[in-house]
Amino acid sequence: MEAIGNIVSLLFFPGGLFVIFAGLMYEWLDHKIIARSQNRIGPRWFQPIADAIKLLTKEEIVPDGVNPVLFAILPLIALAGALTAALYVPMAGLKPAYSFAGDLIVTVYMLSLLTLSIGLAGANAKERFSLVGSTRALTQLFAYEAPFLLALLGPAIAAGSWQISEIVAYTETHTWMMILQPIGFVVALIGLMGKLELPPFDSPEAETEIVAGALTEYSGRGLAIFHLGKGAELIIGLTLITAFYMGGVSNPVWFLVKTVGLLAVLAALQSLMTRLRIDQTVGMWWRYGALLVLLQWLIIVVVQLV
Amino acid sequence: MNITQEWNDILDKVKTWARVNSPWLIHYNSGSCNGCDIEILATLTPRYDAERLGVKLQGSPRHADVLVCTGPVTMQSRDRLQRIYDQMPDPKFVVAVGSCAISGGAFQGCYNVIGHIDEVIPVDAYIPGCPPRPEAIIDGLVKLLTAIKTGAPIQTEKPEELLDVV
Repeated sequence: MEAIGNIVSLLFFPGGLFVIFAGLMYEWLDHKIIARSQNRIGPRWFQPIADAIKLLTKEEIVPDGVNPVLFAILPLIALAGALTAALYVPMAGLKPAYSFAGDLIVTVYMLSLLTLSIGLAGANAKERFSLVGSTRALTQLFAYEAPFLLALLGPAIAAGSWQISEIVAYTETHTWMMILQPIGFVVALIGLMGKLELPPFDSPEAETEIVAGALTEYSGRGLAIFHLGKGAELIIGLTLITAFYMGGVSNPVWFLVKTVGLLAVLAALQSLMTRLRIDQTVGMWWRYGALLVLLQWLIIVVVQLV
Repeated sequence: MNITQEWNDILDKVKTWARVNSPWLIHYNSGSCNGCDIEILATLTPRYDAERLGVKLQGSPRHADVLVCTGPVTMQSRDRLQRIYDQMPDPKFVVAVGSCAISGGAFQGCYNVIGHIDEVIPVDAYIPGCPPRPEAIIDGLVKLLTAIKTGAPIQTEKPEELLDVV
């Protein structure tokens, strides 16, 4: 019986198919909101699904000069990392499938696997645009990762635990962390945008400068799997931030309402702002993001001591 | 009719459906006067919003399904056009936009012009006009997609009357 439960949680819910499908739907919603704010009609609801199936059935070209094993395995590592992270978060307002002390750290690093894989994939190809893209992706990783992690640890310190289920139990019974720790919330939200390489942090894949960034040489299957991984990461990141900062996700309805609301904020920010240069991104994170989060930590610690 | 056969038919249907609903373009100007290029960009702007048909402009030929070509092929751009076509993964389609891409247009017989697009790469759909309006470009794209959907032979003969339009 336990084995069946494990297989279901790995392949269907909350890992596997559910996260992939929900990620595609959230991606559509994101594109639709951006399209509506640009006065367009926007894509149809099945657009990301059609894109994914089309890419999966296309020919995959392995370019000269790459390591073919790495070329094939990096997208899989990226998707596997994102799906593993889904097992430890309260997906759809239900309890996490697995839980242990300190799983917050594991989840955050599982989510970074995607960016790391994209960076390695770009460095693997002998092509200048991929190389520039991968350098930028890895630079951006070092810029947002520390502030993002620190921002997620704010509620953890308030709850006195680094276990996601315990933090969620704490945030559900207290005032929204968004009000108590506004700086942490803003940094976490912007950190998620940096993680997903959404505008204004899309310089790693800036199509007006470096074609398609690190994934320029990917076609067909590899590109599709990277896209699926990004969709999965979108929904996991939204779940983490709503669970920590917006009063928890106690049931599926609240989960849907809160994550979609947060996605609308993300989409509005995306359509409002233009792309930052990579040095501006790094400067912003380390000059303001990291310092503000440390200030937030100081306030939490002082309040807890007093 | 056994089960494998039926299963393959269903898979083919899903593949065709996905292909028809998500044409990603790459745009190449092989020597045009930029008139057609402006119209193609106008097609992608919010007023005509080609994204509602799933159309997306891609930077990399590796990501694209449809190569949208404008202009006659000059001697310099022949190799580039050929290389972009070779870099695209199968299945790939080519759309020639504008009179010059169809017949050489106003540049017919120039010393540095090889001719029209299908002297270099096979073309699947022709969109006449000098330049074609965005509506005409969307119409041509929809005709290409319909041909993919119904499985009709896409590599049609170039309409003879278009050759005389200069």
